[in-house]
Amino acid sequence: MLRGLYTAAAGMITQQRRHDTVTNNISNLNTPGYKQVTSVGRSFPEMLLYLTGIEGDKPARVGAVNTGVFAEESLSIHLQGDVMSTGRMSDFAIRSDLQVPGLQFDDSGKAVDENGNVVFQPQAFFTVQDPNGNIRYTRNGSFLVNAEGYLVMNDGSFVLGTDNNPIQFAPGVGLDRLSLTGDLRFVDEAGADAGVQLLITVIENPNRLVQEGYGKFRLNDEDADLARAAEAGDRIEVRQGWLERSNVDAAQAMVDLMSALRAYESNQKVIQFYDQSLSKAVNEVGKV
Amino acid sequence: MNSSMINAMMSMNAMQRKLDLIADNIANLNTAGYKRRSASFEDLLTTLKQQDERFAQAGRLTPLGYTIGWGARMTQVQQDLSQGPIQITDNPYDLAIEGNALFEVMTNDAGARAYTRTGAFQTVLNEAGDIVVTTADGHPVVVRDEGGAEGPLLLPAGYHLQVDAQGRVSAVSGDGSDIVALGQLKLVEPVRPDALMAVSDNLFVVPEGVDAADVVRDMLPDEANNVRIVQGALEQSNVKLETEMSELLMVQRAYQLSARALSSADTMMSLANGLRA
Repeated sequence: MLRGLYTAAAGMITQQRRHDTVTNNISNLNTPGYKQVTSVGRSFPEMLLYLTGIEGDKPARVGAVNTGVFAEESLSIHLQGDVMSTGRMSDFAIRSDLQVPGLQFDDSGKAVDENGNVVFQPQAFFTVQDPNGNIRYTRNGSFLVNAEGYLVMNDGSFVLGTDNNPIQFAPGVGLDRLSLTGDLRFVDEAGADAGVQLLITVIENPNRLVQEGYGKFRLNDEDADLARAAEAGDRIEVRQGWLERSNVDAAQAMVDLMSALRAYESNQKVIQFYDQSLSKAVNEVGKV
Repeated sequence: MNSSMINAMMSMNAMQRKLDLIADNIANLNTAGYKRRSASFEDLLTTLKQQDERFAQAGRLTPLGYTIGWGARMTQVQQDLSQGPIQITDNPYDLAIEGNALFEVMTNDAGARAYTRTGAFQTVLNEAGDIVVTTADGHPVVVRDEGGAEGPLLLPAGYHLQVDAQGRVSAVSGDGSDIVALGQLKLVEPVRPDALMAVSDNLFVVPEGVDAADVVRDMLPDEANNVRIVQGALEQSNVKLETEMSELLMVQRAYQLSARALSSADTMMSLANGLRA
C-alpha cells in the first residue's frame, strides 16, 4: 500500500488537534488568568529503507523516512497576562517576574544556561484546595467571600493561606474594608491585621503543570518538588481589585487557525492525489 | 472529531450570555437605584488523553498526557454595589443613600427581611387603616424606635415624612407645628456582598440557611463611616455607558472570532467529507 496515504491522514489528524487547541484559546480570550496553549507536533520515529531484490542481491540503502506526525503535547504558555482594574475588592491579580541567579530570561520566558540547556522562568500561582481536597494552582484571582467568610473560587475551591489552611475571615469581616499589604497580609483601615496571609506558590518549571480546567493546574506527584512557597525576595506583586487577563493573542490565534485549516486542506489534497494514483493503478494498468 | 465545533459553540453561548448581561445593564442606564451586574468567564473542563511511557521522548516539555479544553462559560454574575450618582427629585418620599449601606424592608407579614438601595418610597394605606411607607412594590420600610424594637414605618394621618442625614425619621404635621419622632431607619452594611442573593425588584436577600449577621451588619450613618441619607433625592443607576460599550466591543469581537473558528471547523469537516469526491 502507498506509505504516504497514511502519512497524509496523520497530518490531517494533527492539524485537527492544532485547530481544536487554537479554538479553545479563542474561546478563552476573556477568561481571567487563562494561559494560551500550543499544540506541539512530533514526527513518527524514523524508518530506514533499503531496496532489496536488485542485481547482485546486495540491498541498496534508500534513506530514512518519517511516516507521519502526531500531536505530542499541549503546552501552556505561562507568560504574564495584562492586568486590568475591576474595582471588585475580591479580585486579585498576580504580577511576577521571578529571577534565577545567573540567568537572563527573554520575553518568551526562556533562558539558556551555561551547559546549553533551556530553562523556563518560574511562575507564581494562587494556591487553592479543590472540593475534593486536592491542592491546585491558579492564576484566576476572581475570588469571592462566601457567607461563612471563606475566600473561595467560583466553584467553591478554597484559597489557601500561608498556614496551608483555607483563608477564613472573622465573623462580620468582609473584603470591602480590608486591603492587601506588600507581604500579602490583610489589614483593615486602622492597620489591624485580620490574621490571614495569602499563600503564593512558585512553580520552578511551569511546563510541568497539567491543565485541569476551571482555571486550575495541578502538579503530578513526581514533580511535587517543583513547588515552593513564595519568599520575601521574590519579584511577585499581588494587586487587590485587579484581574489578570487571558494571555491569548487574538491576532496570533487567527493566523494559527487559518494555517491549521490550510495545512489540513493540503493533507487532504495529498490523499486525493494518492487516491488518483491508486485509481490509475487499479483501473487503467493493463487495460485492453 | 469535531471538538472545535463543540468548543466554539460553548464559547459563543457564553459570549451571548455576556452580551445579554451588557444589554441588560445598558437598558437600565436610567433606572433609579439599579446596580450594574458584572460577570467573569472561566475555562471549562479539560480532558486528558492518556499517553504511555513511549511518548516520553527527548525534547518533550510537559508531563505525559495530551490535554484538550472544551471552551468557556460565564460565571460569577454579581451586582456591583458601588455608588451611583444622586439626583435631586424634591419628592419627600425619595431617599438616597450616600455610602455603603442598604435599606431594610419587610417582604411578608411574618417579617422576612430584604435589603435594597432603591429609595423611591411611597405611602400605602394598609388593611388596619395605617399609612405605611413602602417601596414601590409595597414592601414596608423597617424603622427601629428608641427602645430598639423594629417595625414598619407608619405615618400618622395628615403628617408628612422628614428624614435627616443620620436616618432619623419624624412625622411633621401639615402646618409644621407638631413633630413626632418615629425612630431611625434601619440600615445595614453589606459586609460580604458576594453572599447576598439578588432577587426581583432590586431587592437583595440573605440566602436560606445563612446567618444574616455574617453577611450584613447593622449600622448607623455617621461621619466616621461616610454614610448619609439624603431626603428628596434618588440614587441613579451606577451603569457607566463607556465601560459597557468597551466590554460590548470586546465580547462582540470574541464572539466573531469564535464564529470564525466554527466556520473554519465546518470547512474542515467538509474537506474530510470531500476526500473521495
